Amino acid sequence: MRAWGHVICMIACLWAGLAMAEDQLNVDGELDLRWVHSNSELSFLDGGLGTLRFDPDRDGLQLGRAFVASRLRVTDIVTVHAVVDAYDDHDRNPVDLSELWAEVRPFPTSAIRWRVRLGAFFMPVSLENRGPGWSDVYSITPSALNSWLGEEFRTIGAEFEARWLGASSGYLGDLALVAAAYGWNDPAGALLADGGFSLTDRASTLFGGLGRPPIEFYHEIDRKPGYYGGLSWRHHDWLEIRALRYDNHADPGAATAAGGNAWRTRFSSFGARLEPTAHWTFITQYLDGDTAVGPDSAGYDQFRMTYHAAFGLASLNWSRERLTLRFDEFGTHQSSGFYGPPNNESGHAWTVGWMHDLGDHWQLAAEWIRVASTFPPRAEYGEPPAFLESQTQLAIRYRFHLGV
Amino acid sequence: MAPVEPRATLGAPAPATAVMDQRNLAFVPRVLVVAVGTSVEFPNNDSVSHQVYSFSPAKKFQLPLYKGARHPPVTFDQEGLVVLGCNIHDGMAGYIYVTAAPFFGTTDATGTLRLTDLPIGDYRITLWSPLIADPPPSLIRTVHVDAQEVTTSRVQLARDLRARPEPRPRRSDWEY
Repeated sequence: MRAWGHVICMIACLWAGLAMAEDQLNVDGELDLRWVHSNSELSFLDGGLGTLRFDPDRDGLQLGRAFVASRLRVTDIVTVHAVVDAYDDHDRNPVDLSELWAEVRPFPTSAIRWRVRLGAFFMPVSLENRGPGWSDVYSITPSALNSWLGEEFRTIGAEFEARWLGASSGYLGDLALVAAAYGWNDPAGALLADGGFSLTDRASTLFGGLGRPPIEFYHEIDRKPGYYGGLSWRHHDWLEIRALRYDNHADPGAATAAGGNAWRTRFSSFGARLEPTAHWTFITQYLDGDTAVGPDSAGYDQFRMTYHAAFGLASLNWSRERLTLRFDEFGTHQSSGFYGPPNNESGHAWTVGWMHDLGDHWQLAAEWIRVASTFPPRAEYGEPPAFLESQTQLAIRYRFHLGV
Repeated sequence: MAPVEPRATLGAPAPATAVMDQRNLAFVPRVLVVAVGTSVEFPNNDSVSHQVYSFSPAKKFQLPLYKGARHPPVTFDQEGLVVLGCNIHDGMAGYIYVTAAPFFGTTDATGTLRLTDLPIGDYRITLWSPLIADPPPSLIRTVHVDAQEVTTSRVQLARDLRARPEPRPRRSDWEY
């Protein structure tokens, strides 16, 4: 998909220029600079088996993220969304697209409102990443669960949502049904099998890769589409409940000539976000599934692994402050295809985040994460299986908004 | 509030105008009561665009409110409740109660509405709020208005009000 990337970027830039003049473009951008102090093992992004984004080699000043998220109104009911990211790490593309999609959302003429999304976008699972450019609004780093979704998943296809606007019809809330068919997500699961869960706000981009050597995620290997289907319930403005079943429907025996494998990855996800008052937010999410790679005929040689991740978060917002506490729990279990110690990870993490808005454009954010994890394959690299890692980040963020 | 026996002397009121504003991702006022035939202006005092719609039988309409663009007012020519939403911001909800009654108003913070200079007679009072859970027939009262005295009619609700959480602090660019 690489050549496509350049073409799409050029078209997007041209379009943006024209649309600015037309006053139909909305742009949110952010530059996030960080001071990082880490007591962690070599990060998975640097070829290690640590679970955090930054390791002691990268202590000091770092680019957290620079992004531009734009929305172009083509007609009253059609919008085009693009998110361009830069992370300043080993990624092949210093600047890359992480989302590009068009949405058709007609005005409701009855209590059912439907919308269609076409392109490349995040599936509607995370209840933390609700800011522009899928940014986490409660702390710097999303939970292990949502970190993984940011790394290995993008819906590249079509998604249909039908929402019953019950709240507008005198009932207690809205009920939405979502279904999607997509391609180019066959490698999803490879990174998790390699190193287990991580806590990172470094999502993958569409054309780049993550880690060393880089794993690329958005390839179509078996020419079979995947799907997901979900339900969500929104009770006024204060409760959102979601359930989703994901299956990339990959053929685990399929591989590219270059050695890229298709991973059959499936999971069920549940989540709830409660905002009982103007100040408090509580979120919990749970995900559980499996992944497999290698031909079925190989029997026990086929690599198979189950996994789960969950977290609970409480966030208090007052005046210009936000304070967040989160507990993560995650694990993987390998059931076949052993070439060494099993990929059985178990771990938990505590995160404390604080955010302070300095007016409309500036934000200070501080975060401390402590992760305890056990992963037997570390022994093969002469490491102890159990790690206790921590990471402190202090970010200054400049945000801008242009358009209508 | 309408006379129990309508009299021609009341006549039809002149076409009125009213305003349903948008501020901080909310309709202001949240509830607007207007007479049949009223033209309602929908200014947009937010820094973001809105797309106001209604699919209520009393008035179906779609009104994109982009910054800097002006739109003609919407005329509500049929009695009934019109529920407003925004196609961009699903959390926004507003109500326009279109009434054929010659006397009407919105209660204040204490739940009181005062009407003055009413002709003498018998009147039927109908009460409505999106927060009231009591069945509508139980909210109807009849009163006799006398020239000399202040007439009072109280409605004691049997059920709790529907929950109306305080508006959540939300940046306009947040998704659900």
